[in-house]
Amino acid sequence: MAPRWSRIAPQLALTPALAVTAVAFVGSIGWTVYLSFTRSRRLPDYEIDWSEWGRQYDRLFRDAGWEISLRNLVVLGLGSALAIVFGFILAAMIDKEKRGESFFRTVFLYPLAVSLIVTGAAWRWIFNPTLGAQSFLRGLGWQVDFNWLAQPDTAMYAIILASVWQSAGFYMALMLAGLKGINSEIWSAARLDGVPLWRVYVEIIIPMMKFTFITCAILLSLGVIKAYDVVVAMTNGGPGQSTWVPAYFTINALSAKSNLGYASTAAVMMLAITFVVFIPLVALTAWQQRKREAAR
Amino acid sequence: MPAVSFEHIVKRYGAVTVLDDLNLAIEDGDFLVLLGPSGCGKTTLLNLLAGLLEVTEGRITIGDRDVTDLDPKDRGLAMVFQSYALYPTKTVRGNLRFGLAASRLPRDEQERRIAWAARLLQIEPLLDRKPAQLSGGQRQRVAIGRALVKKVGVFLFDEPLSNLDAKLRTEMRLEIKKLHDELKSTVVYVTHDQIEAMTMATKIAVMDAGVIQQFGTPDEIYERPANLFVAGFIGAPAMNLRPATLRLAAGRVEAVFAPGAALDVTDYPFAAAPEDGMAVIAGLRPEHFDLKGAASGPLAGSFTLPVRSTERTGSDATLYLAFAPDHLALRISPDRAGGLQPGDRVEVGFQAGKANLFDARSGRRL
Amino acid sequence: MSQISVSERAAGAGEVPVSRAPVFARLRKRITPQSIAVLVFLGMCALFFCIPLYVVVVTSFKTMDQIREGAIFALPQVWSLEAWDHAWNRACSGIRCDGLKVGFWNSVAILFPSLILSIALSMVTGYALALWNVRWAGTFLFVLFICAFVPFQIIMYPLIVMTTTLKVYGTLWGVALIHAILAMPVLTLIFRNYYKDIPTEIMSAAIMDSGSFWRIFFEIIVPMSGNILIVILILQITSIWNDYLIGVTFGGLAGQPMTVNLANLITISTGTTNYAHNMAAALLTAIPPLVVYFLVGKLFVQGVTAGAIKG
Repeated sequence: MAPRWSRIAPQLALTPALAVTAVAFVGSIGWTVYLSFTRSRRLPDYEIDWSEWGRQYDRLFRDAGWEISLRNLVVLGLGSALAIVFGFILAAMIDKEKRGESFFRTVFLYPLAVSLIVTGAAWRWIFNPTLGAQSFLRGLGWQVDFNWLAQPDTAMYAIILASVWQSAGFYMALMLAGLKGINSEIWSAARLDGVPLWRVYVEIIIPMMKFTFITCAILLSLGVIKAYDVVVAMTNGGPGQSTWVPAYFTINALSAKSNLGYASTAAVMMLAITFVVFIPLVALTAWQQRKREAAR
Repeated sequence: MPAVSFEHIVKRYGAVTVLDDLNLAIEDGDFLVLLGPSGCGKTTLLNLLAGLLEVTEGRITIGDRDVTDLDPKDRGLAMVFQSYALYPTKTVRGNLRFGLAASRLPRDEQERRIAWAARLLQIEPLLDRKPAQLSGGQRQRVAIGRALVKKVGVFLFDEPLSNLDAKLRTEMRLEIKKLHDELKSTVVYVTHDQIEAMTMATKIAVMDAGVIQQFGTPDEIYERPANLFVAGFIGAPAMNLRPATLRLAAGRVEAVFAPGAALDVTDYPFAAAPEDGMAVIAGLRPEHFDLKGAASGPLAGSFTLPVRSTERTGSDATLYLAFAPDHLALRISPDRAGGLQPGDRVEVGFQAGKANLFDARSGRRL
Repeated sequence: MSQISVSERAAGAGEVPVSRAPVFARLRKRITPQSIAVLVFLGMCALFFCIPLYVVVVTSFKTMDQIREGAIFALPQVWSLEAWDHAWNRACSGIRCDGLKVGFWNSVAILFPSLILSIALSMVTGYALALWNVRWAGTFLFVLFICAFVPFQIIMYPLIVMTTTLKVYGTLWGVALIHAILAMPVLTLIFRNYYKDIPTEIMSAAIMDSGSFWRIFFEIIVPMSGNILIVILILQITSIWNDYLIGVTFGGLAGQPMTVNLANLITISTGTTNYAHNMAAALLTAIPPLVVYFLVGKLFVQGVTAGAIKG
């Protein structure tokens, strides 16, 4: 079959995107992976010492800072998952009540429009021990310790609070959309059956929204792995290294320590973590999607 | 030289063969209808002709040009789609002009053609409106107009009337036929509606499962269906298809349904000599039955059967007579239908020379 | 707002479009104790969400003296614009003390080329993948899907090298270019999904009429893209304006967006921190996307959920 222009034209038009993908993404990933096996410091050193090719990885796994980063990743993930729970509760209430939906949606979603640096700045100010919320609450007679940012044990919780504040509205919006996809007749049937409301949610509604929950889980994990801005704005990794996260670790290795090889290794580990989390969740989504198509 | 010809067309999607060695020649000026149920391959064939799909094997020629490897816009065709497919952000004029601008015609020629098509289809007052502001019938006209302005020799229609209501459909049928007569162009028209086929076509190609079952004029298709599929597909109510056995005796040939129920088919134009005991399927059209006492001519046989039910549709009536294992459908006048009750035994005769006989095994016409 | 429960769907959410049975239109919904409890709870949550904004606004108008008194939630005794003036004109970011206005105009300058580049590239790519028969389209889409999730750090250094080679490292153009590159996978997927919804027969008709890839694109597809373009614009404007990491990595000293200015201001503590200045600076940085949000809020929701679900 002679080549037709109608076949060539779209492929030509795709070449810029292809080039960008190949060079900026695929090629770059390969480059960084390669560097992770080298001893590059400030400048790349493309020679691999094959007797010690995993040297950077060994270093990484023994690095206390990296261990802290991984631990914080899990803590941040679990804590931020509260945002999904919170978002669901808000969405369920708004969906049931219906009054004021527009107003509440606007209020709960505006944090999304704001930079994480701004969020971090605002919450850092609120956490100020002498001039912020702690002093206000103590003034009311509440002897509470709200100085989370100054102590290594609690600094991460402050960051979690700021993240939840930022993202709960987003998950609420997704949940709300999911809830609206549920046939209202289900509610009527449940009422007729006399089932208590919480049971309707737990046994009927939430299982029906599996797809939405999985989507939220995917987005949450991506957001958590990428977390950087909020850490910079609130604690800059401190106190000490207690609020380090993998993204912060990697960038620190490159810019502050000027250790290219080491930073590349950390980056590769970040990629690995992303895939480990991402692949099963996406597979789950695809499986859910297929089940749904079959049921139609 | 045929206006359009398909030679040994094969279309495969992976392991599935949709069309296998299909051949068809369409003469200049024909209104060819590709008729068949959904999935029979008629739309695939149309899209192959249009160039929207590529053949796996075979050749398509338009006039004297081999267009098999050409892009749709280079084939000299115009197409009207089932959903009209008007460009939603353009006005009617913009829709008509889009294809012309690509052909690099001088501006005044474009305007002349647009005006001509608009006048022909009576859409002049709509030229500055957008498709969303038009009714279904108006949109269909604009879709036709978009095809007309190209002034090509071959027009393709893909079930264009399916989205219209019954009344509009009848109107548009007449209009399309009128256009065809005036412009004397070649038309390839896909539909599953046999009424459209019978009223508009000069030639019909009945398709099923990717194979052309019969190719002929509407009369041929109706009077002499080539196989069981065509026989059962064309005609409403459908042709009665009853198994029978041929009996040859004393120079006469009879199709025997059951003891006492037989038709004389001695004068039937058999393609090959009939054999005694041959299993056949007899096709009897509902309108070729006469009620006792109202015979319009010689009868090939008669049956006495109990009435099962009657259906009246104002101008027509269908009588259902119980005939093992199901029924016989007859067309009768509504007045006669009124006097018949379920259970009544009626004597009906079948007109001579109107029977169709098919081989019970192959389904082909004898 | 009508009391009839007609819900505004956040479009593009990707949920199954199950048709709802008609909900009884109740003219006046009984105010049950349950309703009150729910509304009170929602009200308290709303308060929680508004507190940071309130605190930032209020602090930015205070004088440092009042701030030192420690009542963070109190209204300003004197509404002073000094912090705003300082933040805009004299705040220090690194060695330069020309205020956040530098960052503001930088962010604006980054926005335009970045938007044009990313949207142009993604639109054409999405169009080609959605409406034309390209044999390797499925594979490419899958690769794009993966690229959308890849963390920035894994491609950071090579991108630095590339921008240095192109001599745009440390400039606004560098930042804009990187934003365009990073946005390409997600935006392409969004455009592609949007164009997939265009009825096939319109493309067939266009191919029969004209057949030209570019003519069909400019005359038919682009005019039909209004809806998704608005959503994408909002998504991208917010994302680019609020970004920090790309700005700090590729902006160098000359190409710092406003967020970098702000971060420098907050984190570098030379001498005593002037919280009023910090809050004013934060507010200045937050105002542009907040304005966009409050003006076209509904579309904003669509944009964000579109980016999330499609990606």
